[in-house]
Amino acid sequence: MLPEFDLVMPRSLNEALQVLAAGSPEVLPIAGGTNLTVDMRSGRYEPKVVVDIEKLPELKGIRRENGQICVGGGVTIAELLKDGLVAETAPVLKSACALFANPLIRNRATVGGNLVDGSPAADTAPSLLALDAEIELTSQDGKRRLPLDEFFIHVRKTARQPNELVTALRWALPKPGTGSAFYKLGLRKADAISVVSVAVVLEAEKGVCRKARIALGSVAPRPVRAKNAEEFLTGKLLKKEVFEEAAALTAQAVSPISDVRASAEYRRRMSAVLTRRMLEQAAEQTGWKE
Amino acid sequence: MLIRFELNKKQTELEVAASETLLDALRKAGFWSVKHGCETGECGACSVLMDGKLIPTCIMLAAQADGHEILTTEGLAEGQDIHPIQKAFIESGAIQCGYCTPAMILATKALLDKEKYPSLEQAREALGPTLCRCTGYVRPLEGVLRAAAYLRGEEVPPLNVKPIPVEAVFGPISPASGPTEESGFEPSGGVATTTRITTAPTLTAQDTTVVVGAPETKVDAVKLAKGRAAFTDDMTRPGMLYAAMLTSPYAHARIRNIDTSKARALPGVRAVLTYKDVPRVIYASGGQSYPNPKPWDQVSLDNKVRFVGDRVAVVAADTLEIAKEALKLIEVDYEVLPAVFDPEESIKDGAPVIHDEPDAVGIYDAQHNISATILAQTGDVDKALAEAEIRFERTYRTQQVQQSSIEPHICITYWDEDDRLVIRTSTQVPYHVRRMIAPLIGLPVSRIRVVKPRIGGGFGGKQEMLIEDLAAHLTIATGRPVRLEYTREQEFTSARSRHPFKITFRAGLTKDGKLQALEMVAIEDTGAYGVHGVTVCSVAGLRGLSTYKCENVRFDAKIVYTNKPVPGAFRGYGGPQALFALESFMDEIAHELKMDPIEFRMNNVVRLGDSIPIATALGEGGPVPQVIRSWGLAECIERAGNAINWERVKDPQWRFDPERPNIRRGLGMAVLMHGTAIPGLDMGSAVIKMNDDGSFNLLVGATDIGTGSDTILGQIAAETLGVPLSKVIVYSSDTDVTPFDVGAYASSTTFISGGAVKKCAEDVRNQIFERAALMLGTTTEGMILRNERVTTPDGRSVTLEEIAHHSLHTKDQQQIMATASHMSLQAPPPFGAQFAEIEVDIETGQVTVKKLTIAVDCGTPINPLTAVGQLEGAVAQALGYAVSEEMAYDQSGSIQTRRFGDYHIFSADEMPEIQAFLVPTYEPSGPYGAKAVGEIGIDGVAPAVANAVYHATGIRLRDIPILPEKVWRALHQSR
Ligand SMILES: Cc1cc2nc3c(=O)[nH]c(=O)nc-3n(C[C@H](O)[C@H](O)[C@H](O)COP(=O)(O)OP(=O)(O)OC[C@H]3O[C@@H](n4cnc5c(N)ncnc54)[C@H](O)[C@@H]3O)c2cc1C
Ligand code: FES
Ligand code: FES
Repeated sequence: MLPEFDLVMPRSLNEALQVLAAGSPEVLPIAGGTNLTVDMRSGRYEPKVVVDIEKLPELKGIRRENGQICVGGGVTIAELLKDGLVAETAPVLKSACALFANPLIRNRATVGGNLVDGSPAADTAPSLLALDAEIELTSQDGKRRLPLDEFFIHVRKTARQPNELVTALRWALPKPGTGSAFYKLGLRKADAISVVSVAVVLEAEKGVCRKARIALGSVAPRPVRAKNAEEFLTGKLLKKEVFEEAAALTAQAVSPISDVRASAEYRRRMSAVLTRRMLEQAAEQTGWKE
Repeated sequence: MLIRFELNKKQTELEVAASETLLDALRKAGFWSVKHGCETGECGACSVLMDGKLIPTCIMLAAQADGHEILTTEGLAEGQDIHPIQKAFIESGAIQCGYCTPAMILATKALLDKEKYPSLEQAREALGPTLCRCTGYVRPLEGVLRAAAYLRGEEVPPLNVKPIPVEAVFGPISPASGPTEESGFEPSGGVATTTRITTAPTLTAQDTTVVVGAPETKVDAVKLAKGRAAFTDDMTRPGMLYAAMLTSPYAHARIRNIDTSKARALPGVRAVLTYKDVPRVIYASGGQSYPNPKPWDQVSLDNKVRFVGDRVAVVAADTLEIAKEALKLIEVDYEVLPAVFDPEESIKDGAPVIHDEPDAVGIYDAQHNISATILAQTGDVDKALAEAEIRFERTYRTQQVQQSSIEPHICITYWDEDDRLVIRTSTQVPYHVRRMIAPLIGLPVSRIRVVKPRIGGGFGGKQEMLIEDLAAHLTIATGRPVRLEYTREQEFTSARSRHPFKITFRAGLTKDGKLQALEMVAIEDTGAYGVHGVTVCSVAGLRGLSTYKCENVRFDAKIVYTNKPVPGAFRGYGGPQALFALESFMDEIAHELKMDPIEFRMNNVVRLGDSIPIATALGEGGPVPQVIRSWGLAECIERAGNAINWERVKDPQWRFDPERPNIRRGLGMAVLMHGTAIPGLDMGSAVIKMNDDGSFNLLVGATDIGTGSDTILGQIAAETLGVPLSKVIVYSSDTDVTPFDVGAYASSTTFISGGAVKKCAEDVRNQIFERAALMLGTTTEGMILRNERVTTPDGRSVTLEEIAHHSLHTKDQQQIMATASHMSLQAPPPFGAQFAEIEVDIETGQVTVKKLTIAVDCGTPINPLTAVGQLEGAVAQALGYAVSEEMAYDQSGSIQTRRFGDYHIFSADEMPEIQAFLVPTYEPSGPYGAKAVGEIGIDGVAPAVANAVYHATGIRLRDIPILPEKVWRALHQSR
């Protein structure tokens, strides 16, 4: 048994938003519950009311929509992992999902819950940041869309208001000449919170970088982009020395902490190593050979 | 609220509370197959299928199951039917303790429902979420592939094992010449991780056994595969209360006062106990023989706490939630004291004194936090060191790791109809618990009954009277049944673990590499209490100084208190610590001397007929001289070495991978030698009685903790009595019913309890012969008992059933039955070899173990299937010890690794390939030639991996675990 709370099981998004409308931090939605139940048991969160949004049809589905891919906030990691549209338009997200916990957790964990939890180690975050994804937040007052980069604020702090639900994520279809890569360095295989994770998306034309996105997890109070390195890469020929330089810039952009898993120094160094490797892999996928 | 869903294919309505998890709801409804090991989503034991997908019930609200289809293991096959997956798991030896089994079986179903022809990789991925601490996943993966074949409708061949030649039931033993043929035990199913048995050329026999040496399926496998209510927690009793324990938030503090009035006032609270409420009786909690080794430095509840997680108070209430709520209402006034965490600081003048209580008994030097010391030597070490042509000295460190059985510590205590206290508990040592708890709770032994049901893994962690006293105090205080279970977090903060060691080896050698002197100086961190400290340390000394022949050896050790959670017994019991140091040291010396590391070891290793000098000076139960009478080491090295393709060590190019410039490859090995039982101390016993149909009840005190001891003891009885295993009904570990046994530890059960069973069965056999002689009007001369029938030399015979009827009902009526006990002054060491192949990413420091091979000479494997299972499981634990597991603390001594998410035990999808080989020899002092196999597999992975890292990179790591960051730092410094 968990500490006591009232459970509301709305049948539609509107009903759910009504319950949340008061904007009380003591009313929390639950999706897969893989974070929330653990947090309630440990006493980190003590909601008075829990709203089950897991079965809401409005939060489900992965579809093409006005030249974008739209993923419902309640889509599970397992669904993302086996979806053809995701594989085709966002292989970097698929890679992240493949390294996300294990099949058991993936069957329950949702992408909305992953992002709202606000963990710097959230595994879908670097890939979605690298995809320039937009997050859709819905309340009774209406919908708003934010670049995901503006959504994350600090550890367990996001731009979500207590009356809002994450209803969707969107990203653009990839341009020709796009390459991407994701890697998570854990102490073990997938089923471990990462020490460092890196997602890279590159757009290139004849080997010249048109746009670069580098995003990292577990190395700052929130999932972060290495904007200095992204800027540096733009317009450069994709080659080894450039990657080295971009990797070094990435290491400057992160502000890791030391904890049981690894020291700050190690995380910083690994940010560079992984970034370089991911850049190499992504560059190869753009179809350009040095 | 009422939920409607399909449960095991039946429409079901269930009344659930809003805050109830699906786990709680299902267990409350009697679906006991759904287990729990963490309640944080990390162990997978609570998994069920929801709409065909595996999901964790502990982190899902029961209400969320509304409208779904749920399948638990109970729903797989009804009544006595068995599902093909269950059958495959039973046959392939996938079930040890069985606690993870229902979840694994469901995980398998989820996979096989969508994939008829699963690959090994898919099987690994499917079992990835269900942690198993027993099997190393080798047999469960085998089980998945075997199940797939069954479900495809294929004929699946039985596990094929030709009988292993061992002592004939009556025949003598003759020494043999060259190696015998491979007996080809190769479980089918096509898993790359196969297991083979070869026979070492030491001794063979003239006849073969039938039941001994056969891969019999475990006698408890069916109930475990079906997820029946077999474990401590799988029941409730009327009026049962739930207990919860308050633990110390400080590493060192005196309790000035405790105010429990608010907690007591909470409705539903039935008792709150603190040091004020229970008698102060000094004891040591380790489950060991009488009198428990000193120091005795514990009491049930104290007015001082000595580590974060130490006991403060205990509550019993109508529900667990109320009990937990009550804990928050207990007001403790602590006087926080300075604490010390490093043993080398702890022994300094002026360090905080951890045991300043006047009533502790037998602490060596409480002022300096020295719990005990050991000095043992033979020969003249100083002289030999001084005169040696070459001298070496190196220091090694090992970390604290936790047993992590998936089932936490749990017990249920209650008064029976005769006002005797029943303790149903997950323990390895029911008899020690009964004896040790008596003075603490003020009851005579005669009024206590300890029952051990199936237990979900122990590995030493349950060789302890850890929580039974608290539950018993509560039952005595309330008159009601009480259930007390540790949370996973408490398993880390407040259970037992492996002692960290700092070990310095000094060696003197001749120029050509012959060992002249060996000294081992150790500091052992025993945490806040001395329990198991001195015995673990003496085993470390024995293990560290036994493998290599040397007359001049010395063990000099201090066992030191710190303000840390208390280490205790953990599989290997000092062996893994000593062998990490010893086998790294031997490797270092060999490399320095530019000798082949195997050749160097073999030049010095003990062999058949050798005595073990250190055993005359040191022993867990006192020194007892030992001579080696079975030895299959050379064969082990060859087997395991070939399996890993050791030859590659000579090819410098092999270390590099042209495709991956950041990778270095390496190979490493270690020689293994362990003990079998505590000589002159351990005792086991057995009762056998014959039933009307010629079947037998075998009653043993021995404690099956998933290792399969009920099965192998049954096999020994069946072999001796000429019946199939199915005719032996094994019942164990119930102090009212079964005879005494020390319990499951020190690799003793097969050897000691098995010895008792064999003697007992021989006595019964003699009675059977006498009865047959009476029936046939002849003498017992030359009679043979085989195939449930006694045959005389002239060819006449009677069946066991006829004999039973005759003896029970016809003439000179008599219950054919016997009892026997067994102890031994011999502790014949099993030998073995461990090899590792690894890769190091020199940019990240990540060490990936690619393959582990092990070969062990355990004498006769009574059951090759359970024996290899022991090796594979031990190797998996040893792998965690080598590269990932470590209990980590913050500055204030508070443990940081409180969940499986932070404490890394290996899962199926990240395991390297494991190959385990049995190399049978014949041990004259063991039943049917058997010696131990339970612990030796945990000894060698850490040194083998460390040696392989050296081979790959030239970096020598002298402390474990070998974490990426450590390797990266070492590589960095060396550049
Ligand atoms: C064993 C285990 C392993 C794990 N491994 C990983 C891992 O490898 N990588 C990783 O990133 N995470 C991991 N996690 C964390 C967790 O599984 C993920 O963060 C998951 O995606 C959370 O989704 P959920 O649906 O379960 O969220 P919930 O627990 O239901 O909710 C999490 C938070 O988000 C809120 N919320 C949920 N959905 C919405 C929504 N649509 N709109 C607004 N608020 C919402 C809830 O109120 C709550 O505060 C692991 C967890 C466990 C238990
Ligand atoms: S995963 Fe549910 S109890 Fe461990
Ligand atoms: S058999 Fe898997 S945990 Fe024991």
